[in-house]
Formats: sequence, structure tokens, C-alpha cells
Amino acid sequence: MSQPPLLELDAVSRIYGTEVLVYALNEVSLTIDTGEFVSIVGPSGSGKSTMLGLLGLLDLPSQGVMRVTGKAVHELGDHERSRLRGDVVGFIFQQFHLIPHLDARRNVETALLYRNLSPRDRKRKAMEALDVVGLAPRHEHRPVQMSGGEQQRCAIARAIVTDPQLLLADEPTGALDSTNAANVMDIFADLNNGTRSIAIVTHDPAVAASADRRISMRDGRIVADEKLQHGEAITSFGGTLGSSH
Amino acid sequence: MRSVRDLVGVAVSGLTSRWSRTLLIMLGPIIGVSAIVAAVGLTESAKGDLQQTLAALGDNLIKVEASGSFGATDPTFSEDVVARVNRLSTVEGSTALLSVTGVITTPYEAAADYYTAFPTPVLTADEHFLDVMNVELVSGRWLNSFDSSTAARSAVVGIGLADEFGFREGNRTIRLNNLDYGVVGVVERYPLDNVFDNAVIIPTSTADADFDVGLEPNTLYVRSDPASTLATEDALPVAINLGGDGEATTLVLSDALEAEAAADSTLQIIVAAMGLLALIVGGVGIANVMSISVIQRSAEIGIRRALGHGRSLIAWQFLLESVAVGLMGGLAGAAVGVGIVIYASRIAGWVHVLAPELDLFGVTLPAHYLGMPTLYLIGVGAALLTSVIAGLYPSVKAAQLEPLETLRLG
Repeated sequence: MSQPPLLELDAVSRIYGTEVLVYALNEVSLTIDTGEFVSIVGPSGSGKSTMLGLLGLLDLPSQGVMRVTGKAVHELGDHERSRLRGDVVGFIFQQFHLIPHLDARRNVETALLYRNLSPRDRKRKAMEALDVVGLAPRHEHRPVQMSGGEQQRCAIARAIVTDPQLLLADEPTGALDSTNAANVMDIFADLNNGTRSIAIVTHDPAVAASADRRISMRDGRIVADEKLQHGEAITSFGGTLGSSH
Repeated sequence: MRSVRDLVGVAVSGLTSRWSRTLLIMLGPIIGVSAIVAAVGLTESAKGDLQQTLAALGDNLIKVEASGSFGATDPTFSEDVVARVNRLSTVEGSTALLSVTGVITTPYEAAADYYTAFPTPVLTADEHFLDVMNVELVSGRWLNSFDSSTAARSAVVGIGLADEFGFREGNRTIRLNNLDYGVVGVVERYPLDNVFDNAVIIPTSTADADFDVGLEPNTLYVRSDPASTLATEDALPVAINLGGDGEATTLVLSDALEAEAAADSTLQIIVAAMGLLALIVGGVGIANVMSISVIQRSAEIGIRRALGHGRSLIAWQFLLESVAVGLMGGLAGAAVGVGIVIYASRIAGWVHVLAPELDLFGVTLPAHYLGMPTLYLIGVGAALLTSVIAGLYPSVKAAQLEPLETLRLG
């Protein structure tokens, strides 16, 4: 018996409006398997934000069926859907979205609340996650005391602390300078392994090119879905361009 | 259970990260609960004082004044009125007095004109007075049978008069119509009847000899069996007049004090109602601030939803913040109220009552419930209830926020 795919969209539409119907997504079918590194690209209004909301279980399809690890999400109540979201998805946002009144460690711990963990276990896991992104020494700093790059690394730590199967990043380098952006992309490359998928929504071609698979969207439809060979070269050789160019 | 603990942790950190705001919205419950506690506590303390006075003085002293037959001037009782009254089985004792009119008292020679214009009351009394009235002497002695039998010019003065002129036993005299009387004692203030405070009290026989006022009294104080004060009051006019045409006005002296205590209950309800009003206004304040807080923290709510916290957890978080404000404000308010009661009671010289019995719309509640003073349970409970109601709307609003809208994706 084969494992169900991590994410499966079957003719999914997301429709806004009641009288004038706006198809933000129009009968999109898509499968993302465990371990994939996917980028979703497209101009403004192409439907990639809507796609992000659906993939992150923050939204529900208007038509069609979306399955996460084989479960049809529209059949789940808010509680189960929230639980599934917390277990399967780790979010990374363009604006970092750290909680301002909490320090780095407590921001990471927020993802571990309501999981029947003792405070000590929660603290230990949070420190481990901060260590992965190289932020453990700064765990007592609040967001205002950190640089943009540090805030994004803290947000990544928060996303991975629950060990989710899917990291869902929304324009993760959009608010960063090129050095920090490269740093963050390196971390993504390190985090991509056989059990963890990464999906990055972006309009930055360089970011999209670092993925293994690029899904291009336009007007609520997928217009291209390509495997990228050179993405592997970039991740393997730590930033140097692949020879296939 | 760990989820509940996590929830409490989140709510507390939400409150402690904004201390000044938290303290500000806590002011509402603090003012409301402290007003309720102080209003009830203070009026009960004042009442407790009154009731203590009542218990000490007894509520069984009846004052009887001769009102005579129609048209009579200066009506009096018969000479043997005390014996007549004491024949009643419910009477424990009685004492007779006569107000002496037309006597100019001069405690102080240079002020003779003043005392002519504003005469000091002069009373005659018998030797039962102290026992029946249950009143003490400040100094000296009371009029005795030797004074009566010899018509001695001895006088006892009220404490008001004594304080004003520093009368002390033996070394001062007081002049009544140019006759010098020796002051042998000073009588304590009697809370139920202030007629003695500034009076000069002399033996009946002396008054008759010096001022020719006769031996018939016009005022009686009757100590009744406490269980049948009202029956005694009813029986007295008949016992006194024995079917004659004289009339007697009776009054249970403690009634005025009891009326005062009852009036305090009304005040208590008014002030407590104002406290309740302050609590409701405080609740509106909580609802306001929490609603604004939900808008300000919409990004945080979106983040928490994205991290897998369900709508109900978000609602609980904000409800718990509101309840924590109510609880802490209520406890602080109770503490402030207790402080007010203790401090004001000390200033007023009352014994403070911190755990009174409560009388709510005819239902009497015990002073303590589950080992806690009922008054504070009610005060803190009211603050809690207010904060729950105030927190409901913002909590539901917070839960209804769509994370997609607050997170500004894409």
C-alpha cells in the first residue's frame, strides 16, 4: 500500500464574491510529495497567495478536493484542521511575523504550546531549533533587538521546531538584503531532506531557481510545472553555479 | 491539563507585557469592588457600633412624661408614682425626676447675665437614678438618702457642664437663685437622652425646700423586663393614673437609635449600588480595551492560528486575559476596601466589622462561606462575572479573525 502524497489538490477552485465570481484559483490540480523542494512563481494576481493560504490550511477550497496526508481538509472542523496545520505545516513569512513582546526562545516556543509538553521539554526543543539556525546565543533577544536576517532565522526556527513535513515560505527573502537572503536560502537547502518538503512562494527568479521544481502560475491556473536540474548543483556546491548552464 | 497551563501562561504573558495598560483596565474592578466592600463594611461597622451601644444601654428603658389633663400647665404625676409603677410585674425598677423651672443657675459669677438668658436645666432626682438608667459617674458620688432627708444643698452636674467649667467634687459650688450648692459628683453622658448632659441635679426635698416646687415628679424612667418592653409601655399610663384623668406620654428610648441603624442600611444599599455601577462601567472599560487590543494584536492572532492554535484556543486566551484582569482587580479592590474600612473605623473610633452578615433583599447570608468572608466572595465574584461578560465579545471577535487577512500573505 503506497503512502498518500503529502499534498494533493484535485481540481481545486477558490472563488471570491457572491454576484460577480472571481476565480482566484481555477480548477488547479497539483501533487507535492514528501521531500520535494518546490517554488511557486507568478506575477501579482496569479493566485499564488491564494495557493499559499490553501497549502497552509488557512483557507478552504470553494470547489474540488484538497488532501493533506490523505485527509480531505474540508471534512475537518476548525480544531482538527488547526491541529493538522500545526503538525504538518511550518510557516515562514516575508515580514517574519514574530510576536513582538516575546523573546526569540519564547517566540519559538509559541509553536509548541498546547502540545502536552513540559516547560522544560519545550525550552529544550526551542533551543535546539535556534541552534540549527545559529541563533541560540541570542535566544533572549526580542524581535526589535534583532536584525532582519536574525528575525527571519528565528522565524525559521519557529517553523521547524515542530518538525513539520512541509515548510511553507511566503517570499522569505523579500525583506532581506542579498547576504542575508543567501544565508536564509542556504538554511532552506540544508533543511530539505527525504522527510521534509519545502514550498516557497516567490516572484524572485533566483529564489525560484534554487528549488528542484518550479510551478508557474497565471490567472489562477498552473501554466508550467518543471523539474530543475541545476537547482541540485546549487545546493550541492554551496552557492556556485552549476555547470549545466 | 497542560493545555490549560499553557493557556494561562499565554494570557499572563499577554498581560504582563503591557503592564501599564493592564493596571489601567484593572482600575475599574478595583474601584467597583473597593466601593462595595467599603460601603458595606463601613456601614456595618457604624451599625455594629450602634448595636454595641444598644446592647450596653439595653432596649428596655421607657421614658414617661406627664402630659396631664387637657389644658393643665406644668403637669405632674402623683407623689407615689414610683410605687405605683413598681407594682407592675414586668417593671424591674424606676426612677422619678422633676424639671425645676424658674431657677437661674450660675456656675460662673461673671456670666450671670448669660445664664439668666439661657437657663441651665435643673432637675430633681432620687437615689435609684444610677441603677435604673445604668449610667456611670465620672467622679464623686450620687445624691444619697442623707442629702434627701436633710434637704442638703448637694448637686450632681452633667458632664457637659462639668467639662465646660472644670467642676470637681468638693472644691466647687454652683449657685442656684443665689443659693450655693456643693457639687458632689459628675454624671457620665447618657447616649439615649441628652437632657442630663448640661443639667444640675439636686435632691427632691432640697428643691422643694429652696424653690417650693412640691414633691410630685413629672418624668419617669422605667426599666422593663427586656422580653416585654412593649407590653410594659402600654400598661404604664393606666398604672400611673389608676383611672384618673391625667395622661402620660411614653417613649422607648432606644427606638431612635434603632431607626438610625435602619437608616444606615439604606445608605449602605445606595453606596453599594454605586459600587456596582462603577463595576459595570469598569466592565465596559475592559470590553473596550480588549476590543482595541484584539485589533492591535490581529497579527499575533494570525501567527498563532498559523502555528496551529484553533479558534477556541484564541477565544480562551483573550477571555482568560479579561478574567485575570477581573480577578486581580477584584482581589486588589477587596484589599483596598478592607484598608478603607479599617482606616476609617480607626478615625471614627468604631470597631471595624470586616466580615458582616449580609441582608440581600430579605435573604440573610452568613458572614462566612467556605471559610471566606461572604462580602469579599461576593465582591470578587461580581468582578469576575463582570470581566467574563466584558471579555466575551472581544474573545469571539478574536476567534473570528481570518488569519489570511491579518497575515498579509503574498
